[in-house]
Amino acid sequence: MTSFITKTSLKTWLGTLLKDNTLVAPAAAAGLTFFRPVEKIEDIAFDFTNTALSPKSWFFPQTETLSGEIAGNGHKTLNPEALEKNAVLFGIRPCDARGLAVTDKVFLITPGDTSYIERRQRTTLVGVACLEERAECFCTRMGSSPNSPADVDILLTEDGDGYLVQVMTKKGQTLSAGAGQQQSDKAVPPIVPTKPPARLPLKSAGPSPDMDYWDQSIADRCIHCNICAFVCPTCYCFDTFDIEKEGKVERLRSWYTCQSPNFERIEGYMADAPKGVRMRHRFYHKLPLFPEQLGSGYAACTGCGRCVVSCPVNIDIREIMDDVEKFRASVGEEKAPQA
Amino acid sequence: MDDKITLAVREKAKELLEQKVVDCFIGYEKATDNLTSRPLFVYKPEQAERLVFDNTCVHNLSKYLLNKKDTKTAVVAKPCDARAIVVLLNENQVQREKIYIIGIVCPGVVDSRWGSAGTEPEVRCQGCPQHTPPLYDFLIGEPTDEVEQDAYTDVTAMEEMGDADREAFWKEQFQRCIRCYACRNVCPGCYCPVCFVDLKEPLWAGIRVAPGENWMWNNIRAFHLLGRCIDCNGCQRVCPVNIPLMLLNRKLKKEVAQAFAFIPGMDPKALAPLATFKKEELAEPSK
Amino acid sequence: MSVEEFQPRIIGFLCNWCSYAGADMAGTSRMTYPSNVRIIRLPCSGRVNPMIIFKAFQQGADGVMVSGCHPGDCHYVDGNYYARRRLAMLEPFLEYLGIEKGRFQLEWVSASEGKKWSQVVARFTDTVKSLGPRGKI
Repeated sequence: MTSFITKTSLKTWLGTLLKDNTLVAPAAAAGLTFFRPVEKIEDIAFDFTNTALSPKSWFFPQTETLSGEIAGNGHKTLNPEALEKNAVLFGIRPCDARGLAVTDKVFLITPGDTSYIERRQRTTLVGVACLEERAECFCTRMGSSPNSPADVDILLTEDGDGYLVQVMTKKGQTLSAGAGQQQSDKAVPPIVPTKPPARLPLKSAGPSPDMDYWDQSIADRCIHCNICAFVCPTCYCFDTFDIEKEGKVERLRSWYTCQSPNFERIEGYMADAPKGVRMRHRFYHKLPLFPEQLGSGYAACTGCGRCVVSCPVNIDIREIMDDVEKFRASVGEEKAPQA
Repeated sequence: MDDKITLAVREKAKELLEQKVVDCFIGYEKATDNLTSRPLFVYKPEQAERLVFDNTCVHNLSKYLLNKKDTKTAVVAKPCDARAIVVLLNENQVQREKIYIIGIVCPGVVDSRWGSAGTEPEVRCQGCPQHTPPLYDFLIGEPTDEVEQDAYTDVTAMEEMGDADREAFWKEQFQRCIRCYACRNVCPGCYCPVCFVDLKEPLWAGIRVAPGENWMWNNIRAFHLLGRCIDCNGCQRVCPVNIPLMLLNRKLKKEVAQAFAFIPGMDPKALAPLATFKKEELAEPSK
Repeated sequence: MSVEEFQPRIIGFLCNWCSYAGADMAGTSRMTYPSNVRIIRLPCSGRVNPMIIFKAFQQGADGVMVSGCHPGDCHYVDGNYYARRRLAMLEPFLEYLGIEKGRFQLEWVSASEGKKWSQVVARFTDTVKSLGPRGKI
């Protein structure tokens, strides 16, 4: 069922949502846009392409208090920060919504991550489809699509002076009840088709004949900052840490990344591994390992292209996929079985 | 003109690798957007054809010398990158005989990010004190003696703000920080095996990404580069959330220049200003 | 002293050999001076890593002072010369971050200068008091 909402009534609707909900939306700062709770509708950047950081930080904040107020009486409480109000995440792109589907696979496995579940259940996703493909975008290559409504509650597609509205879930229905949209006989544009997903790397684990490629073409260049993981909508690794604060102990968790040299020291998995192994692990985990382990049917890369833009030394995942595919052909492995 | 530099770089790389003067040649190649550039490591003479040099070659390649301490390595260096090598030599982090510097008389680089080459010159180029590298083994271009005076207009504008405004300005900037530490990892001056921010004991700045911790991280990072920052704009360029880090670094550069008449990266024999002192200076502490 | 009056929290980093002894001297000579300075004893003013001062301000200090032997008198020969350079650079930098001039001070106080110590503290406390509270960052 299609309906249409004008830009003016969209703003009015968002205004009414602001009363009872926290509205998280793209807002401009320092020449970029970021998802953040907005206080008034004027703060929302409606003409954004995509935000500098992914919206995962709303569900999985960069730092959060996990638990452990050990007060004077020796009692310990598990204390995930509960949301004050229900939330609406406006302006999420289909690629980032797919990113949430990826983190869901990790954080919702029983027993689940209490604070993630809380935030996920109480947030309604209002997506906005992409009309244009930017140079860094490759969602179609990762099994998603610029106007896929699969992972959002409501999807808006810009059309003239308004948006076509697709309500996908019950949550979306409840939210859009008072939106003031009209029936429309216009059809939603067909979903942009996806290309077959890439395969990567050659061998699951252990020494592999493509190691020279990782060592010499990729690892040499990498400066091991955390940008790619921190801008990524799907990276979910974290570190926990206890701090003492005003006589109490607090357990925190913060984002962490496999590219940080400290990570290997702690995780042990790749301790003392050469840089190439670390690099290969990142791409290996994103592409074949994630669907293999969690049966997701999609890779832990959504093709949003943030890492492509932000990487200081241009480590481009698309180029790596192409190179490995070429390498595959060169060692005579024609077609690997599709996952 | 850029093409001439590209050809000269390729030719030199080929020569050095063929004659086994060096084992690795670090230069630039075109990035995947075909507009900007990225670092390239060349190990075989036939790969030298991929090298380029143009005004999008913004990276400071001297950082990579720290990973190639045991390999004889040639590196393409703009004046600011060469200053970084001088600082590394000052601090005994690289051996002069292990590196071969291809100096470039630099016309300046543009402010570019992946996907857009840009036309505006980068911050560092606006107050660039020199266009000829202070140290090189092979120079591409005609050396010039001109040394421009840095006007520090950006820093002065900050200094003219009120204290409260400045505090609010930095609070606003630092609250965006995501602590990816790209500013540190890209910096040739940041080579500590364990950075203060990764220490858990003592805990200088916690892992919490919050105003106080971000304030500690950004300020101490800048202060650790006091008298060592060679103004290559690397930290500000890589920042994914556009924090104007060079305003911090350049303030300290200005103070050091005024107090000790010292500009880092000019003299391979010099000592960092905080690693030395004169008995008669800075007469009385401020009242 | 009225209860409402703002009492600044000041951290003093004192060298063991001169200034700490100087502060001791002020005490044994029964000189009175404001009790706002919390003294942390260090082996030398050269030990004062600027990170310590950043941390003090981050944690909510209203003022920070560093005091050591007069230049030329350092127990470790030249520790205070290094400190002098470092802290001379720190002062304008703190101001640049929006921490008002006057909240940070470097002073040379020798072991015999009990009187100077009490004067320095009194003056510094007054300055910080007039600047008002700062709070944590």
